[in-house]
Amino acid sequence: MEERPAPSLRAEHITSGYGGVPVIRDVSLAVGPGEIVAVIGPNGAGKSTLLKSLVGILRVTGGRIMLGEADVTNHAPEDLARRGVGYVPQVNDIFEPLTVLENLEMGGYLLSTAQIRVRVGEVGNVFPQLPPLLKRRADKLSGGERKMLAIARVLMLDPKVLILDEPTANLSPKLADSLLSDHVKRLAGVGKAVLLVEQRARAALKIADWTSVLVSGQTRLEGRPAELLERQDFEELFLGAGTSTPASPEEDDDKI
Amino acid sequence: MNLFVAAFGFGLVSMSVIAIAAVGFTMQFGITNMINLAYGEVMISAAYLAYYMNKAGISIWIGMVAGALFGAVFSFLLNRVIYAPFMRKGTANLGMVIVSLAVSLMISNLLLPIVGYYSVSYQEDAGRLIRLGSIVLTRDQIIVIGIAVVLMLGIHALLTYTRLGKAMRATAANPTLARNCGIPTQRVIDSVWLITGALCGLAGVVAALNADSFAIANGSAFLITILAAAVLGGAGQPYGAMIGAVLIGLITELSAAAWSPEYKEVVAFGILVLVMVLRPQGLLAKRGALAAAG
Repeated sequence: MEERPAPSLRAEHITSGYGGVPVIRDVSLAVGPGEIVAVIGPNGAGKSTLLKSLVGILRVTGGRIMLGEADVTNHAPEDLARRGVGYVPQVNDIFEPLTVLENLEMGGYLLSTAQIRVRVGEVGNVFPQLPPLLKRRADKLSGGERKMLAIARVLMLDPKVLILDEPTANLSPKLADSLLSDHVKRLAGVGKAVLLVEQRARAALKIADWTSVLVSGQTRLEGRPAELLERQDFEELFLGAGTSTPASPEEDDDKI
Repeated sequence: MNLFVAAFGFGLVSMSVIAIAAVGFTMQFGITNMINLAYGEVMISAAYLAYYMNKAGISIWIGMVAGALFGAVFSFLLNRVIYAPFMRKGTANLGMVIVSLAVSLMISNLLLPIVGYYSVSYQEDAGRLIRLGSIVLTRDQIIVIGIAVVLMLGIHALLTYTRLGKAMRATAANPTLARNCGIPTQRVIDSVWLITGALCGLAGVVAALNADSFAIANGSAFLITILAAAVLGGAGQPYGAMIGAVLIGLITELSAAAWSPEYKEVVAFGILVLVMVLRPQGLLAKRGALAAAG
């Protein structure tokens, strides 16, 4: 069996939540360079809470977060950005009143003006749809363009770890499939560690190297997608959580 | 007719004064989410500082610079020492308004025993009269208009072309996302209090210079006019505040020509009420928080 790469980002038994009430408990996961790790689970499982804890938005009350060899538990979001962690939230993922170019400039805030100019050109090559839109206000973009901008903004700092919270939310199945199988996979292909939370579980399983199933704030299953799909308890976990049933193998992009 | 043309001239001066103050006020709200009701008191404190400097024989123009510096430092400290700790504790917006009202009362009551109740005025020769058709303005009034134009262009350039200005707009739009980008939002917010505080202090001296005399009670009167301009333009919108200042400045001066200067604040307050009823989001609200110009 293929070995997993040494982790770029590692959560060790972390507990976190809101107002002192834990939403996730004792959760561990790791993602290494070139790897796509998908976190899936029913609504309310704590997937977004997990990501917010990893990027310093929510306080971790137990466990620790390691970035390479450095303990970055409860470090501020701006420090994690400086250390190479890029985060695309599920909503409010761009600066709406700013233009596309200004969004990219803010994504590269830690760079010099000359470096920003170079990076805008480079991320424009990753998302060729964006360069013609540089002067457009971000709130005038379509759903797909908006999500590309959100990811491009994060790529400005060329992060080692890319954390994406439901990047396909509100996108058409075709666009969602293209975003995951083209762009996200390509980013992992150039060595980024990609941690992905997805409601379209089957689509996520298609591109993921490793999958963690979160239910009621705890990791209930993890493994390689092919192994998980063969397990009977994989489907039962979702059924037990009272969500919709897994999509049939024929369906491409349905949510589990 | 000549009276109204002359009133238009005064309106140019009034709109300049209001614009300087209202842009600072609305930027404070737009970026830090703080409706700072102590703004008028900081203005009047700066006006008094310039008054005492002027009384000691120092030029009012140097007093104006000192007023701006005083406003910057005072506002920065107000935020760091009083507002920010409350915000960190999660005090709701309404609670913060009440905190700022308390600060406003504290400032005026601390000033009162120092400056007294009575009206004072600067010892400043307003300079020769300059005639533009039926409009007659003093040299000082022309300078005030010039200062306002330069400041408005400066604010536009700051928000549109500089890294700090764009970071201010990004922080206003989405502070959490700004932090995720590596933007040091605390430093950005400190800069906002310094810059808007400087506008506030400078506006205080300019407003006092434009008035025949001023007293401690003028702080709250300033605030009503500023609020009217800021709300009319769309709360949190610097460009809206500029438009609001133009309209409020002209309307109040024309109303003064038509009725009486006594009613200027009443007219401003009336416009504020009308806007709240007819278009509570203000003129530029659709453009979003601290939108790009143009």
